[in-house]
Amino acid sequence: MATSRAKKINNAGYWFILPALILFTFFLIIPMFNAFRLSLFKWDLLGAKIWVGIKNFRNLLQDEDFINSWGRTLYYTFLSAAILIVFSFIFALLLDSRKLKARNLFQAIYFIPVVLVTPAIAVVWKLMFQTTGILNAVVSLLFNTSIPWLDSDRIALYSIIMVQVWVSVGYYMVMFIAGLQNIPDELHESAMIDGASWFRRLFAITIPLLQPTIILVLVTCIIFVFGQFPIPYVISQGGPNYSTELLTLFIYKNAFKFLKVGYSSAVTVFYFLTMLLFSIIQIRIFQDREA
Amino acid sequence: MAVSGRTKQTLSLIVHYLAVMLCGLIILFPFIWMVLGSFKYNKDILDIPVKLLPPQWNFGSYRSAFASGPFARYYLNSIIVLVAAVGLNIIICATAGYGFAKFRFKGRDLFFTVVLSTLMVPIHAVIVPLFVLMKQIGLVNTYLGIILPLSLSAFGVFLMRQFFYAVPNELMEAARIDGAGEFRIFRMVGMPLARVAVVSLIIFHSQYVWKNLIWPLVIVSGTDLRTLPVGISLFSGVFFTPYPDQLAMSVSACVPLVILYVFFSKYFIRGTALAGIKG
Repeated sequence: MATSRAKKINNAGYWFILPALILFTFFLIIPMFNAFRLSLFKWDLLGAKIWVGIKNFRNLLQDEDFINSWGRTLYYTFLSAAILIVFSFIFALLLDSRKLKARNLFQAIYFIPVVLVTPAIAVVWKLMFQTTGILNAVVSLLFNTSIPWLDSDRIALYSIIMVQVWVSVGYYMVMFIAGLQNIPDELHESAMIDGASWFRRLFAITIPLLQPTIILVLVTCIIFVFGQFPIPYVISQGGPNYSTELLTLFIYKNAFKFLKVGYSSAVTVFYFLTMLLFSIIQIRIFQDREA
Repeated sequence: MAVSGRTKQTLSLIVHYLAVMLCGLIILFPFIWMVLGSFKYNKDILDIPVKLLPPQWNFGSYRSAFASGPFARYYLNSIIVLVAAVGLNIIICATAGYGFAKFRFKGRDLFFTVVLSTLMVPIHAVIVPLFVLMKQIGLVNTYLGIILPLSLSAFGVFLMRQFFYAVPNELMEAARIDGAGEFRIFRMVGMPLARVAVVSLIIFHSQYVWKNLIWPLVIVSGTDLRTLPVGISLFSGVFFTPYPDQLAMSVSACVPLVILYVFFSKYFIRGTALAGIKG
């Protein structure tokens, strides 16, 4: 009775979703479509818009700075995601162990970087990366050398990745712990009775059963990391020699520093296309798993 | 044999604890370094050899951060934006979640898919067209212009819908028989039940709003409306950067979330585990 009633058409529902629908349409969906429209113009925000058709896209594909930024962002995303998955999984294993006392306290500590304000903590990392900063003090103590963390265009991106991993590892660790707790204890217990070692159980039970969590972490991580802005903005402003200029920073600079609105809209469209590509791959992976 | 087995176990437990504590220390270190740095004098911050503890304690950096310049104003701006954006977020997520979960109407699934698809489009992906829109409707350099886009979260709508699904329809039905209007039922029956979900969402969304750098950076051009993340990122002195002041600002910006975290760590962590469902 109750369910049949709930299923009856009731237009009151429209009133409830209306505020959300208006705001989402106005501030996310219309801008999304506008990105496509604006990408067909040349415009500096102040003067008149000049119709240029697909010229922005043609320029884009010949613009080394853009191609490099896009490729760099993909590299940054996948390397960060790979490192994040490995470390957050190891941390989850370390902290989910029943043998560990006060594991809630430890989990809470590992989660702290997630809670901190990213631009604020990036200020500290920038100081730690300086030539006379604490990181080089440790490096010179251990290896009697020093690392140009932010001064070398071959190293700076990896320094940024280090911060990215530090900022987010606790977040994905918590997701992994939630996944680990869904695995029934009986499986491990019976495998132990059969004499399976810890490593054997890890690869035969834990990792296969954790596959949904792993995919989930990968997907959330890629969407999040691909749009990273505050870390390179505060620490390196994209330098040295553009080596840390990620795509969001590229869009920001082109639109609001160089006032190339049409051009940066075309880059925005590319951003969407990359996201679309990610979701198609993601759907394919999920389908393969069900097949 | 049994003894050696036990020794091996004890040894592995000790290694386990050492690993956990070492990693914990590394993870905590930048935060500790930030707090320590805020109590140093500028000359000691990047001095060689590195000074772990402040050689002389500088208790003035917090006072000078708040007194000199517009930092107090940034703080106030951040609080205004936080309260308004999170409040609006709760209203639209709760109503929409309730609407999607408790009613059946034409196009419901389509609308829900549209909202959910914006999960893939975070705000930093649309800064350019969004800024153009804000310029057209005259919301550049206004509180409203900062607040409105930051109040949206597809995840929040999803979370509230999941919650209201679990509420039995009979409760609403009973109120309906008593002749209560739909909005009254939502307010008197639905919302009181949703307290835990609402607190989770408040904590989840507060972090997002409080930390967001890119949108206020884009939409605000003067110093008057800067929020904390913008103020900290763009902070520099006239002749040199007073690092202790900047670090004092950074610590002050983190403190509200850290305090909230100390009291509600369960909600923070549960919110993350919940966010995992959204994929």
